[in-house]
Amino acid sequence: MVPFGTDETICRIVTAYSDMLLRLACTRLGSAADAEDAVQEAFLRLLTARPVFRDTEHEKAWLIRTTLQRASDIRRKAEQRNIPLEEAAEPMTPDSPGEELRSAVRALPEKYGAVIHLHYYEGYSIREIAKLLGLPAATVGTRLARGRERLRQMLREDVV
Amino acid sequence: MNREDYRKAFDELSFSADFQRRTANLLRDRARELEKERTQMTFSKTKKMAVLIAACIALLAVSVSAAYLWLTPAQVAEEHNQPLLAEAFQGPGTITINETVESGDFSITLLGLVSGRNLDVLNQDLEKDHTYSVLALRRLDGEPLTNQNHSLTQYTMTPLAAGCSPAAVNSWTLEGGGTGMAKDGVYYYLLDTRSIEMFADHTVYMAFYEGGVPNNSIFTVAEDGSIAFAEDFTGVQALFTLPLDPSKADPAAAEAFLSEYDMGWTNERSDPEEEWDIEHRETEDGEEITLRPKDIRNAWLEPWDDEKDGGHHVATPEERAAGRLYTAEEFEADLSLRRENFQEMVSIGNMTQEEYDEWDQRQEEILEGLQSGAFEGRVVDGTVYFDPIASE
Repeated sequence: MVPFGTDETICRIVTAYSDMLLRLACTRLGSAADAEDAVQEAFLRLLTARPVFRDTEHEKAWLIRTTLQRASDIRRKAEQRNIPLEEAAEPMTPDSPGEELRSAVRALPEKYGAVIHLHYYEGYSIREIAKLLGLPAATVGTRLARGRERLRQMLREDVV
Repeated sequence: MNREDYRKAFDELSFSADFQRRTANLLRDRARELEKERTQMTFSKTKKMAVLIAACIALLAVSVSAAYLWLTPAQVAEEHNQPLLAEAFQGPGTITINETVESGDFSITLLGLVSGRNLDVLNQDLEKDHTYSVLALRRLDGEPLTNQNHSLTQYTMTPLAAGCSPAAVNSWTLEGGGTGMAKDGVYYYLLDTRSIEMFADHTVYMAFYEGGVPNNSIFTVAEDGSIAFAEDFTGVQALFTLPLDPSKADPAAAEAFLSEYDMGWTNERSDPEEEWDIEHRETEDGEEITLRPKDIRNAWLEPWDDEKDGGHHVATPEERAAGRLYTAEEFEADLSLRRENFQEMVSIGNMTQEEYDEWDQRQEEILEGLQSGAFEGRVVDGTVYFDPIASE
């Protein structure tokens, strides 16, 4: 693939992945500004690390994993400073019907949140998620089932 | 919650309207800065490359008589675009193994491992040390392995610790992630797990075998805690003992880890028939055979072993009677997703077709029981219990 860094590839990658990565970052972060920081850091890492990708799926997997890691770092740093993220930043669309669900997803252990989002929002199968996250498919299946169960308990719904 | 609700909740999110433009500009600026830095570094890099090429030629000259020339762990890390890891593999902390086992059609060589923090540029973990292990696989008949003819997931590479259940200490519980690549006919595995040094005061193994999650049809644990492949396990297999430094053990961390994952181990394999109550009843049409799982919870739900609130409570008959009714329609809807999950496991070799068929048959029986009224499902604390309904 063409190395990242040319105008053409920067435009292609930012256009193709921004929306997906921003929403994915929001499974770990409660503010849009933090999510934007996480995604920008992931793109910048692409420039400095200069990985060579086999294909676009490999490229996407790298960006997903790096964004999740950046989001975790931002969240952890805020927690170390004892600043609850959602108080430190203006919550996104407060009181919206979806906020309860998004809060529940953020409250999940990180290993469950990413799998839940990639399955429910992006529509990936277990095998596809396993490839994207570099995990055994059986692990993804377990995380998906347990994540759903925890969400169900948090949302106090009968059926997921 | 369903997929539509989920998508709606995340579609509500709004981000800066100029995010893409700002980001593209930021990246262009940074790309220009990096390009400048690279131009300035070119001379010193060229010199370094010349020395490296000379060294490689010398190495080839003395290695022609070697039976086989593998990539080093550092080279494998470089092939995976992992410069920090490559550097670590060349540092003092690396453990070189270079041991080979021949099994089935394969020669399996554990090349080495290294432990440390923040060595993976793609997946950094600021809080935990990780262990990275490299293994090389080649066919004994000389047929080259390629990314097309060899599947990473057909085989398992996992650490194990003597004295600990293989079901508790393995690549899955150690949050392992494996990557593979073929080069010059050899397939290289790079396994990333949480650090195994915490178990360094045990005998620690690296196992490579054909199959999935460790269980007692693959491994057996002796009374002294040592682990071996089960005598009747016939798949490709190799078990290496790792020369870890016992002074690096962290018994407290190991104990905490085991308290979370150790669910016990037995070498005894249960006979599936022992898990079912079988009733024979003469009817007008002949003999009616009823199969009823002895542990109804295991009929389709596994216990949530990662709950921090102390594991799974099996509801009493009174609690079940007070639980919400779980209908055949709900079961059927949920079954389709679980079938999809289990079929995935079959396709990657973590479950045999025979096991799947047996599981599926049980589900059909439960569904039939719910539809006919022979069974009743009740939900208690997120778990569904199926009980037979006594006939009048």
